[in-house]
Amino acid sequence: MTLLLQQLLNGLIIGSTYAVVALGFSLVFTVARVINFAHPDIFMVGMFAGLLAGAHISQNFIVVLVAGALGAAAVGYGLERVVLRPLRSRDVLMTLMGTLGVAIMLQNGMAALMSPDPVAYPRVVPNVAFGTGDISISSLQVVNFGLSVVMLAAASFYVRRTRYGRATRAIAERPDVAAAFGVDVNRVSQITVVLASGMAGVAAVSVGLLYGSAWAFVGLLYGLKSFVCMLVAGNRYFDGVMLVALTLGVLEALVTGYFSSSLRDAVAFFVLIVVLYFRPDGLFGSYAV
Amino acid sequence: MTPLLTISDLHVSYKAVPAVAGVSLEICEGEVRVILGANGAGKTTIIKAILGLARPHRGAIRFAGQELLRLPSHRIHQLGISWVPEARQLWGSLTVLDNLRMGAFLENDRAKIAERVDHMFKRFPRLAERQTQVAGSLSGGEQQMLAIARALMSDPKLVLMDEPSLGLAPLVVRDVFRLAKEINGRGVAILMVEQNARQALKVADWAYLLSVGRVVESGRAADIAGKESVQEIFLGGRA
Repeated sequence: MTLLLQQLLNGLIIGSTYAVVALGFSLVFTVARVINFAHPDIFMVGMFAGLLAGAHISQNFIVVLVAGALGAAAVGYGLERVVLRPLRSRDVLMTLMGTLGVAIMLQNGMAALMSPDPVAYPRVVPNVAFGTGDISISSLQVVNFGLSVVMLAAASFYVRRTRYGRATRAIAERPDVAAAFGVDVNRVSQITVVLASGMAGVAAVSVGLLYGSAWAFVGLLYGLKSFVCMLVAGNRYFDGVMLVALTLGVLEALVTGYFSSSLRDAVAFFVLIVVLYFRPDGLFGSYAV
Repeated sequence: MTPLLTISDLHVSYKAVPAVAGVSLEICEGEVRVILGANGAGKTTIIKAILGLARPHRGAIRFAGQELLRLPSHRIHQLGISWVPEARQLWGSLTVLDNLRMGAFLENDRAKIAERVDHMFKRFPRLAERQTQVAGSLSGGEQQMLAIARALMSDPKLVLMDEPSLGLAPLVVRDVFRLAKEINGRGVAILMVEQNARQALKVADWAYLLSVGRVVESGRAADIAGKESVQEIFLGGRA
């Protein structure tokens, strides 16, 4: 029973980070109509931006967090201007190759700049363990989970309650009609990419703090898993993507706890195959793209 | 009277296949004009060209003195052109209320938006009842009302209506044309594309017959309705 509770807790915490990355990934996909392979590496850049700020500017938690968000958002902005916008409405393979190219550049660029191996993260948040009996949770986990929840709530509010958020959903469903009703699709697409990137940057800093290290190749697994979350949920409802990401975190933690941690990374793909076999549009449905 | 919208010598092709081949037409302020034609005659393409959603390779489209051809769609809408798309094309996953709000996307004054939403809900009580439902859950007739209400939310000078009667029950079709007349009565110009010639000619001031991408006939709606050739082609040969 304690193992179950502990693993559920661990799963929700890691799942909340998946949810932030997956939500950004799927927002960019539905609005800019591109599978942004660079999104997980924008996450990685955010992680290093926080690390550098912590090492050179200030050990203040907020400063590190803001640096992570800004670093990632800046790369997202550049990506939108240089790759996504010029390649929009071209063959989908071109944007795909474009973002993949940027992903590889970012990974290897960071590896060359910093180190190809994991780098120790500044300890800007004290690591304290809380717990009752056999269940324990660390202050770093609380920070990680708290930040994710705040960002998911903020993203949810943005998409549902604000004018530009509504436009985001309108573009996702019918870009032509949105444009004909006055929505500047390029502008909304840019805002979306920057917001999604900034969110990924914040999540990345909290993950760096949690594991105590940053790594130039950390993006790959987060990227694949968030892609899987979007496919499993379908891209119609952003809430669905969040739900699937949280569930994936929990499933992974249960598999790690009851079977073996070496099976952990296979869970996502097993779920993907099963779900797509029965529901090719994902659990909650997808827009035709 | 200077025309509100003037299209001259418009050519649009899809991958080298011409859809519109040299169409010229115009519409004045406060008028209803209708473009009649069979499927594939190029009617929707003309609408899309006006909206900047199809790119002509020749010709000119002027609206209120401004050339539209090089403008992006969102700037064209800003000039006062709105759209009731073919088959509605609502945002099915957005609520009725959000569809209406999106119709006034460029309006910065929240009070004005609320006032127009109120106005639409008074005119279409069914939409008010269903304001929190997603648009995809409405019946065909309700969806058409929402599509028309959405188009009016920006307080446009010209509304483009693309086959507003398509796929609707006969009673609803009558409502739609009556509504077009009502909107026009408030000074909004309407350029309509239709296959339902009989009904469309009743509300229109002027009609164009389109065939294979060209205007083959044009004139006052009453005159067009009386023409034998028109009756044969569009009105099933009955007077």
